[in-house]
Amino acid sequence: MMKRVFLIAIILGLLAVPFGMAQAGEKVDEIRIGVVVPLSGIGATVGAQMKTGATIAADEINNQGGIKALGGAKLKLVIGDTQAKPDVAASEAERLIQRDNVQVIIGSYQSAVTIVATEVAERYKTPWVVLASVADRITGRGFKYIFRPCNLAVYDAKEQLEAIKALSQETGKAPKTIGLFVEGTEWGKSHAQNVRTLLKNYGYDLVFDEAYTPGQADFSAQILKIRSKKPDLLIVAMFTPDHILFNKQYMENKLDLPFGLHSVGSGAEDPAFYAATPPKAVEYMFVQEDFQIDITDVQPWTQGVSKKAKEVLGYDLNAYVAQGYSNVYIIVDALERAASADKEKLREALAKTNITSGPALITGYNKIAFDATGQNVDSHGAISQNLNGKRTTVWPASNRPQGLKYVWPIPAWKDR
Amino acid sequence: MDPIILGIAVVNGILLGGLYGAVALGLSLIFGVMRVINFAHGTFLMIGLFIPFWTWQLFGLNPYVAVVIAAPALFLLGYAIQSVIIAPLFERERAMVLEPLSVLLLTAGIGLILDNLALMAFGPSVRGVQMPFASKTLWIGEMLNINYARLMAFLVSIAIAVGLTLFLSRSDLGRSIRSTAQNRDAAALCGINVRQVYNITFGLGCAILGVIGCFMVPFYYVSPTVGLSFGIRSFITVVLGGIGSIPGSILGGLILGVVESVAGQFVTATSASIFSFVIFILVLLFRPTGLMGMKV
Repeated sequence: MMKRVFLIAIILGLLAVPFGMAQAGEKVDEIRIGVVVPLSGIGATVGAQMKTGATIAADEINNQGGIKALGGAKLKLVIGDTQAKPDVAASEAERLIQRDNVQVIIGSYQSAVTIVATEVAERYKTPWVVLASVADRITGRGFKYIFRPCNLAVYDAKEQLEAIKALSQETGKAPKTIGLFVEGTEWGKSHAQNVRTLLKNYGYDLVFDEAYTPGQADFSAQILKIRSKKPDLLIVAMFTPDHILFNKQYMENKLDLPFGLHSVGSGAEDPAFYAATPPKAVEYMFVQEDFQIDITDVQPWTQGVSKKAKEVLGYDLNAYVAQGYSNVYIIVDALERAASADKEKLREALAKTNITSGPALITGYNKIAFDATGQNVDSHGAISQNLNGKRTTVWPASNRPQGLKYVWPIPAWKDR
Repeated sequence: MDPIILGIAVVNGILLGGLYGAVALGLSLIFGVMRVINFAHGTFLMIGLFIPFWTWQLFGLNPYVAVVIAAPALFLLGYAIQSVIIAPLFERERAMVLEPLSVLLLTAGIGLILDNLALMAFGPSVRGVQMPFASKTLWIGEMLNINYARLMAFLVSIAIAVGLTLFLSRSDLGRSIRSTAQNRDAAALCGINVRQVYNITFGLGCAILGVIGCFMVPFYYVSPTVGLSFGIRSFITVVLGGIGSIPGSILGGLILGVVESVAGQFVTATSASIFSFVIFILVLLFRPTGLMGMKV
């Protein structure tokens, strides 16, 4: 008899728990932000950078007293490792939402992974602020809970082509043919598609257009092909390990690209890439990134964040640390306006975001405001050229350091 | 298709294929002798790449010289893992004939643990060695260039294969290994310490990876997940060439390398892998023991 009473009491107690947790109330102790990034597998260095940026931001907020509108609620980051696999990311997202009860998630670098994981978030009506994934489809599905502060893939492509056009006009020397060499999953293919579509407006001929499987051991076959097609300029989209191998072989094969190697980032935005590749292999390379690489010179307040990043990672602020940092501040801004931990109210506050100053703009944008699809309309990147081992912004012209002499076209290998 | 370009593609394919073949040697040996499918093979290659990287990073030691550290270190690691972790599984089975599944899972587990230990210890960053020598290339004519580091890796791969074949056919230990591979019980009856042979074989399989790692590090990159793609290719190479056959392993590797390289000239690289897999399936259908495999 006692045993039965005991059993019933326990069952009732367990049933009551979810109710207890659902009543958030306006005095909240902590806000849980899920961080779903690759911490192993391809892109793990970038995942670590994003996590570091987010951690630095969360620590800053907590040290300044937490979320004021919620009575000083502290931020807690709950980490999930995507392993760079879409299915793992989806189950991690589900775990964070169902078991850890996060209010919002940020992630996940690879577009192929983010696209799948955000579907889970949308289903569970949990806001998601995208980190670095540029594939157009991510905000093109009519989802209401997905917000992207960073570039849309088509912006990346447009900026690359605009930069080429601007440099051509300034110097009077223009390329005629272009080659495209991209990684064969969501991001690379998305970028290639955008370049192809936009090329019509710029009048360049596409003479080489191929994708490769990430993780390839040897690019000799494709470099051979590129050489036989002789494009004036090559646009690449590669992750770190492939970029390292490709640049090394590009140098060894002395592949001449008169108007340069134009990388749309990812691998070329990763400090580990520069540590592992000989300087000669990255000379004169143009890199498009969602970040102004010399921002610590232009906006001194960012140097503090850069120092903290260096303590953890061993290198300075880069695009991915900045995005991790920025996303947390965007969420904090929304939380202060929503004054509630409720996911619906948070979503509405995020949709009405209009940030024109403050730490969230560490990424170098002038404004963060999301349109109806969840895309930040004011995101833009910058194109840098690697001159004497230092990456310097060459486009937009307004971001260029005074009196900079960029190199266009670039010298042939035999003349270096 | 321009014959020169085709020729160059073939040469590149051979260089890479020799490497695939050598990496697969250890796998072939271990399976041929012990019937153990070593799922951790790629992981040992990763360790074989990290050792010369760290000796270069910390002591400035030339990776080619690091062979004297990497090969024994991996031999000992392989020996230890076989004698301490895998051998007990053998003990449990009466006739020392293993249920394939349990050892597979065991080696897979070992691989996972080592992968993640490496991730924890070294961090996820992709690293590379920077050696001026590694970027020098040999130019033949105007278009064909052969990277010295890759050429060295290829030559070492062939040397290992030849050395291993000689060792197995000429030395006493080699003969013990071969007889154990043919018939465990008969070998034991002849007084061969089968347990010891197993330990040495596993150690040898891993030591080979240590040597190859030292020669790969100048032109490849190093990260905790680098073993994965090579692990998969090793399986294809071994089945293609024939389990337990050393020349078969090299042959399988060469076929894989050349097919990928040549097909990559006609179709995109992603589609080119399809050709390798199609050949793989055809070989399995018509010659299941592989091109040069022994009758199991």
